[in-house]
Amino acid sequence: MRMKKFINDPKHLVPELLEGLALVFPSKVRLLRSNIVARAVPKAPGKVRLVTLGGSGHEPGLSGFVGEGMLDMSVAGEIFAAPGAPRCMEAIRAAAKGGEGVLLVVLNHAGDVLSGNIAMEAAKREGITIQRVLTQDGMSSDPAVKDRRGLVGFLPVYKVAGAAAEQGASLDDCRKIAERMERNTRTLAVAVRTATHPSTGQAIFELGEDEMEIGMGQHGEAGTGRMKLKTADETAEIMLNMLLADLGVTAGEELLVLVNGAGATTLMELLILFRSAARILEAKKIKLARSAVGEFITTQEQAGFQMMIARMDPELIRLWDAPADSPYFVVR
Amino acid sequence: MIDAIGKHELAKMFARAAEEIRREHSYLSELDSVAGDGDHGTTMLRVAERLEAAAGANTPEDLSHLLRDAGWSVMGVDGGASSALLGTFFAGMADAAIDEGSMDCTQVAKAFESGLAAVAKQTKAQPGDKTMMDALVPAVGAISAAAASGKTVVEAFETAASAARSGADSTKDMVARYGRAKFLGEKTRGSPDAGARSVALLFKGYYAGLAHERKG
Repeated sequence: MRMKKFINDPKHLVPELLEGLALVFPSKVRLLRSNIVARAVPKAPGKVRLVTLGGSGHEPGLSGFVGEGMLDMSVAGEIFAAPGAPRCMEAIRAAAKGGEGVLLVVLNHAGDVLSGNIAMEAAKREGITIQRVLTQDGMSSDPAVKDRRGLVGFLPVYKVAGAAAEQGASLDDCRKIAERMERNTRTLAVAVRTATHPSTGQAIFELGEDEMEIGMGQHGEAGTGRMKLKTADETAEIMLNMLLADLGVTAGEELLVLVNGAGATTLMELLILFRSAARILEAKKIKLARSAVGEFITTQEQAGFQMMIARMDPELIRLWDAPADSPYFVVR
Repeated sequence: MIDAIGKHELAKMFARAAEEIRREHSYLSELDSVAGDGDHGTTMLRVAERLEAAAGANTPEDLSHLLRDAGWSVMGVDGGASSALLGTFFAGMADAAIDEGSMDCTQVAKAFESGLAAVAKQTKAQPGDKTMMDALVPAVGAISAAAASGKTVVEAFETAASAARSGADSTKDMVARYGRAKFLGEKTRGSPDAGARSVALLFKGYYAGLAHERKG
């Protein structure tokens, strides 16, 4: 199948998309050299700075969440590839200026973890105060898989840690809040159709016409739950039950539930899926404290979605509700 | 006969290594598409470019300075784990106490051991896990053994190239346990690891660069 995408030279995908982002939201973000996105108006001095890193091709993740109450800086890698340590280092250095330390939020993917660690070691050698939070919310359908991927669970982490930093929390406290959010978040992804790699035009995985695969990674890394396509209600039930069991949710608890479209799955479907999830929770007497439906991290025109649940407490809810003004996540 | 490696030799080694990568980059991407997203060949092309540039004109004559710059330059390739680890390897070589202008076989061994130690600090992957370590560990081991038995640097890289090659070939029958590939389990058996293959190509190039130098 020939790739049908509105692009120019595939070599310039990342700088062009980031330039676009900065042009659409000039009051929120600006583009630094070397594909680093920063807040248009830097955070007030004396507050903790949040920095993240990750591959491109997943818009609006991750740079779409740079802004007041969320990230201070995002280092964008090439398509589906982690940014190298030198650029992460550059962002950390820039973010650290005038701040009370840097909280580096890293999604658990091999390349991102490596670059983050190498940059963090180098930053420490330069005397920068820095701590790291690793997000690993992504369940595999295979219970034997222990090392979990970072999926859309980065969003509540950016949100609550960003709010805490904005309110003047210390680096230790920001990290602890981020970790508490992370520990209480679980995500499952399901894919029904592959995307093409925008540089190569190659399909990134194979899936039968009438199949779906539960537990797939952000880039189509295989899960093991391949099955015939099911209805929204059936799919939501399978996924939600796995998530609730894994997080150990019991009746009476409060959850944030998020449904994230992978790129080609329509808002119609996402809303229908969310309805299914809400009905199931109601039947189980689990409280839907907060919710979000939309595209927060995509993989090109991949069809499928991620369902995320997070156990909330009053402080996490307060931070989730705090103002945020990033290009693709706004709370007023 | 070459008994030491200076900047001139390093430039030849990197140039030949880059040639090997260019020749096989499509195959490397193909291997990567079994378990990853099929961009390993592209990553390695960028790594190769930067290695060549690192030993080119206007780069430091001091070897540890040159290697550290080479390492950070390779780490600057957005290529996920492979460029980060290869960059770490070169930067790590610079941590060994090597002479400014040239390394004899003992120093080469020390530098490669130091590079490997730096990589081992960043990954828990061991030989047998179907990663670049399956080629890198035996290659560095071969250089150390050659240095210990008084071999020349050319002989050292000859055995290292062949050890890297066998190591990479052996990944064919392994099941991936690291990186994205680990989520595929048994599906990864049957084709060699792209990262290990790349390391084998680098060492093949290092040897070819030195051997060619000897004849010339």
